[in-house]
Amino acid sequence: MLTKRNKIANWILVVVLIALSLFFLFPVIWMLANSFKTDAQITADMNTAAAFIPPVLNGSFFDNYISILTNTSFLRYMLNTLFYAAVLIVLGIIVNGLAGYALAKIKFPFRERWLLVIMLLMIVPMETIITIHFLFVAKLGLLNTVIGYILPMIVNPFNIFLFRQVFISLPDDIYEAAQLDYCSPIKYFFTMVLPMSKSVVATVSVFTFLNVWNDYLWPSLVFTSSDLLTAQIGLNAITANDNTTMGQTLAVITLITIPVIIIYSFFSKQIVEGVVSTGSKEG
Amino acid sequence: MAFFGPALVLLTIFLFIPMILTLIFSFTDFFALNPDITHFVGFENYSQLFHDEDFRQAFGNTVRFMLIIVPLQGLGALSLALLINKVTHCKKYFKVAFFVPVVMSLAVVSTLWIQIFSPEGILNSILGNFGIDPQPFINSASQALPSIAVMSSWQGMGYQMIIFLGGLQAINPALYEAAEMDHASGWKKFKDITLPELKPLCIFVFITITIGAFRMLVQPMIMTGGGPSHSTYTMVYDIYETGTVNWEIGLASTMSIVFAFFVMILTVIQTVVTKERGNKHADKKK
Amino acid sequence: MGFIELKHIGKKYANSDKNAVTDFNLEIEEKEFIAFVGPSGCGKSTTLRMIAGFEEITEGELYIDGVKMNEVAPRDRGISMVFQNYALYPHMTVEKNISYGLKNMKVPKDIIKKKVDWVIDILGLEEYRYRKPKNLSGGQRQRVALGRAIVKDQKVFLMDEPLSNLDAKLRVSMRNEISKLHRSLGSTTIYVTHDQVEAMTMADRIVIMKDGVVQQIGKPMDLYEHPQNKFVAGFIGSPQMNFYDVTVNGEEMTFADGSKMTLPKATAEKLASHKGELILGIRGEDIKFDSQNIDVYKQNSQQAVIENTEIMGNENNLYFQFGGAQTVARVSKYEVCQMGDRVEFVFMPHKMHFFDRETEMSI
Repeated sequence: MLTKRNKIANWILVVVLIALSLFFLFPVIWMLANSFKTDAQITADMNTAAAFIPPVLNGSFFDNYISILTNTSFLRYMLNTLFYAAVLIVLGIIVNGLAGYALAKIKFPFRERWLLVIMLLMIVPMETIITIHFLFVAKLGLLNTVIGYILPMIVNPFNIFLFRQVFISLPDDIYEAAQLDYCSPIKYFFTMVLPMSKSVVATVSVFTFLNVWNDYLWPSLVFTSSDLLTAQIGLNAITANDNTTMGQTLAVITLITIPVIIIYSFFSKQIVEGVVSTGSKEG
Repeated sequence: MAFFGPALVLLTIFLFIPMILTLIFSFTDFFALNPDITHFVGFENYSQLFHDEDFRQAFGNTVRFMLIIVPLQGLGALSLALLINKVTHCKKYFKVAFFVPVVMSLAVVSTLWIQIFSPEGILNSILGNFGIDPQPFINSASQALPSIAVMSSWQGMGYQMIIFLGGLQAINPALYEAAEMDHASGWKKFKDITLPELKPLCIFVFITITIGAFRMLVQPMIMTGGGPSHSTYTMVYDIYETGTVNWEIGLASTMSIVFAFFVMILTVIQTVVTKERGNKHADKKK
Repeated sequence: MGFIELKHIGKKYANSDKNAVTDFNLEIEEKEFIAFVGPSGCGKSTTLRMIAGFEEITEGELYIDGVKMNEVAPRDRGISMVFQNYALYPHMTVEKNISYGLKNMKVPKDIIKKKVDWVIDILGLEEYRYRKPKNLSGGQRQRVALGRAIVKDQKVFLMDEPLSNLDAKLRVSMRNEISKLHRSLGSTTIYVTHDQVEAMTMADRIVIMKDGVVQQIGKPMDLYEHPQNKFVAGFIGSPQMNFYDVTVNGEEMTFADGSKMTLPKATAEKLASHKGELILGIRGEDIKFDSQNIDVYKQNSQQAVIENTEIMGNENNLYFQFGGAQTVARVSKYEVCQMGDRVEFVFMPHKMHFFDRETEMSI
């Protein structure tokens, strides 16, 4: 129950937080508003409140966006990245899922040791071995190839562990029932285990997507050819071009963020749960 | 075993072998453009690192970056979480609003803030309204690192805020009701219930930020190229340049080992703290 | 030769020095309904799972229809199984759950449809056909699990505590339904339960187990009337059989509290070779309150004060202290007693069971 004094305090808090959030978001608001402007307009508005207000809706409102999508390869980079993400989601679920399932449910030699190894691998920072990955890919002549980019990214100790933690609580009797229904182990994995674990499959897919979409270092090492670039590397290439205006730059970074916003709004529950659980679950 | 096979092959090629090679190369002068003249050099690389100006500066920068971002992002996230947890209206909006920068990638944020930090940029324009002279921000050796730290805090704060909100919601409300019965004031409740209950989570979050700080690379890579005058050069940046630009795999491996050593120690501390916390919670349930 | 034969079947887990199941021998006829019953941990489920092939048989041999099955994969043993927690595929509809096995067996589509329709019809699942398990009640899930087992036309049916997750009322009706199904399908059935009532009401023969060892195998009434040891006597029947430590000397039987009874001549003669210290067992319904009509010996009539009553409606359980032990008598609803009443009773002389105090075997 709120006393009258508490009510007033609460409203003050709301107002303070709204002000704080607007201040906090000023770079984003500025980005959105000015992504629709010409550079002359941006400069002209800079010292006024108009800096945070989009221009009036007219025929040239979307010019920056249109020129990015038609005059540069940015759309192609986005599609590239979507394709890489799709491939890595599928391969990642198969490879890491199968491994997690094996660690959870299949008896094989040294299973407990392997689990420990996977957990130890989780603490190794990827930056440590990225030089060697680069060396491998370069020596194999796989620089500037999709395979060279994708291969080292498939296996992921975190995802193996995550799958294992979920699969271990699947009831064994369903596997036994499926055995009596003439279901082979591999068929069981694809037609039973994965559909029964939709939630973790979704979580892994979402995080794989975000990882691929936002990754910078590895694609910047592997890709130099402009045909294969990911969106983030493409962004760098486009902004480095002297012909690119500030408004166009802001339009590119808005465009690149849209898919992520879509993903977040569809899977916010999984993501927030994932974020919160990193802080609250053991190990 | 057939199920584990594909993962095992990939783990071996892309994790085990690279890790072993990194360790081995760290004791050699392996130069990828001329691999035939490789020698075993023992700990020479390691001792060289201690005298390597660039690496020392990179390490120093990393520590300075850490000293700014850990309190700024950590306390900022905690304060936001406490306020949002208290507020009764527009809760959902606040959660989303402060989470927005997390959605943006580091490359996007860096590109955006290059504009914001620019000498005639919007930040200087705002500051001008308060009568503050234009600042050079990322163009000056003294301001570049703090500027990037502030920007990084801004980008990551929402993430930690969500973790803290989760922690706050996990506190048993009966504790507050009991304190109310014991005539505890609002401040007392915060000091005697909220803080102790959140303490393990705080440690977890602060270490997470520290690890993130150690791994910083993309921001200076895009915004400053490590400059001005190496003021934003970081450990990972040094590894990247030494290994993949200069092809000095031996020295880069040594840096990688030193870097991994720090990160892994932090991760282990974090795991231990989190484990203890998990166990404490398990005990409580009994 | 039986349809299913278990020869000296034993189970030993690697990490335990005790056998989970020891020397299990049983021949099951075709179309027979066999119940394995016993307290939890007695090895009944383990035995069933060895028959199914989900647990390795570490000792002995298993034959189904004359073929040795020890090394045969579960799905090739010609069995179907109903699991304790149903084990329905959670992401499939009722229809898909039932047809899944047939699809994997590459049965032609039109035949699958016919069979599934038939099963859904006899189990009354028509209106749930396109629902998923999470939208079904316990009883409906149970039916789907049964349907999934029935549809494959296997000769042997294994059921592992199929009713244990249902409420009491539903359990009775499902009991009935399973019995009916068994009669109409004529499949050989092995049914594991910890509930002796289920075993008694459904099974042709019952196997009682304890600590991995078979205690007795027999028809329900045989077990009830002629338990081979004290464990079986106590396990079968509700309320539990009353047990007393007694000393028998010729025709005279003395209870721990000094009460005495005179035994019939025939009984005394049978006990003559087992001297002295015995355990007497008598069922609640064999304690009678109309004493003069039953026992020839006047002095056998005993007295006690009722301490507690359980009114069931059709009959009543009366609790009192006698012979150094808590005693429960089961009387008809017409014999009304109240707490504190002093009653006179006799034990029906030919319904007394005697057990050796050392071995607890029946005499």
